[in-house]
Amino acid sequence: MSEEGHHPAALSPVEQRVAALEALLTERGLVPEGFIEEITRRYESEIGPMNGAKVVARAWADPEYKQRLLAEGTAAIAELGFGGEEGEHMVVVENTAAVHNVVVCTLCSCYPWPVLGLPPAWYKDPPYRARMVREPRALLAEMGCQLPGDVEIRVWDSSAEVRYLVLPQRPPGTERMTEAELAGLVTRDSMIGVARL
Amino acid sequence: MSAQLSLSEMDLPRRNGELAFDAPWQSTVFALAAAVVDHAFGGDREPFRRQLIKAIADEPGRPYWESWTAALEALVETLPDGPHRDET
Repeated sequence: MSEEGHHPAALSPVEQRVAALEALLTERGLVPEGFIEEITRRYESEIGPMNGAKVVARAWADPEYKQRLLAEGTAAIAELGFGGEEGEHMVVVENTAAVHNVVVCTLCSCYPWPVLGLPPAWYKDPPYRARMVREPRALLAEMGCQLPGDVEIRVWDSSAEVRYLVLPQRPPGTERMTEAELAGLVTRDSMIGVARL
Repeated sequence: MSAQLSLSEMDLPRRNGELAFDAPWQSTVFALAAAVVDHAFGGDREPFRRQLIKAIADEPGRPYWESWTAALEALVETLPDGPHRDET
């Protein structure tokens, strides 16, 4: 592989197809100059689970915000400046001692981009999409999230209409933490519901 | 059956702001789909989403960004010929 270098002849079939698409769409005036670089930069550095973590930390620190977040997810998330494509209809579901929520998209890969960025590879894989519906408890355990038998698991199927975000339980012993410190505790996986904090 | 689940993803649970792309062509084809949605469909993502759902259903084991590429190819096939803009 490496001896092939980076000259055009070394392009894989899929790279050739993408290059052909880029050439065609550019010729048709659909790809403004710098658009690809700008989109890539935004998704790699500005949009990601750090945004969702701020939402969760605010909800933990401010009970009134939490109420608004659970009642009107999209609007409450927009209060913190997050929104836009793939995040128009956000529903936030709260984990409690008795209920654990987990999110899947059985059809493709619907995912709340403004608060979580792009979905991780496993979220898009058929085994995750199929098994999280069929046997969530077993799959969660395989993914390192062991739940007591008396905890109810609720599986939410994302769609074009609704994107779900899990509000994890606030870990014990964090009462004196600042909001920024709390945000540092929140992981992407906890907001999908495949991990607990 | 869970062999395809990438457990290495789980090793880095605090990788907030992680890189989402494994190769430059993946970010390119992602951005190209955004460009088509924005500039040929006036921001309506539904036509692309339908193609993506179909592409994934057609070959469930295919790597995700290759399905994405197939979906974009199919969507481009539906565009009218010639330069096309509906936004400035």
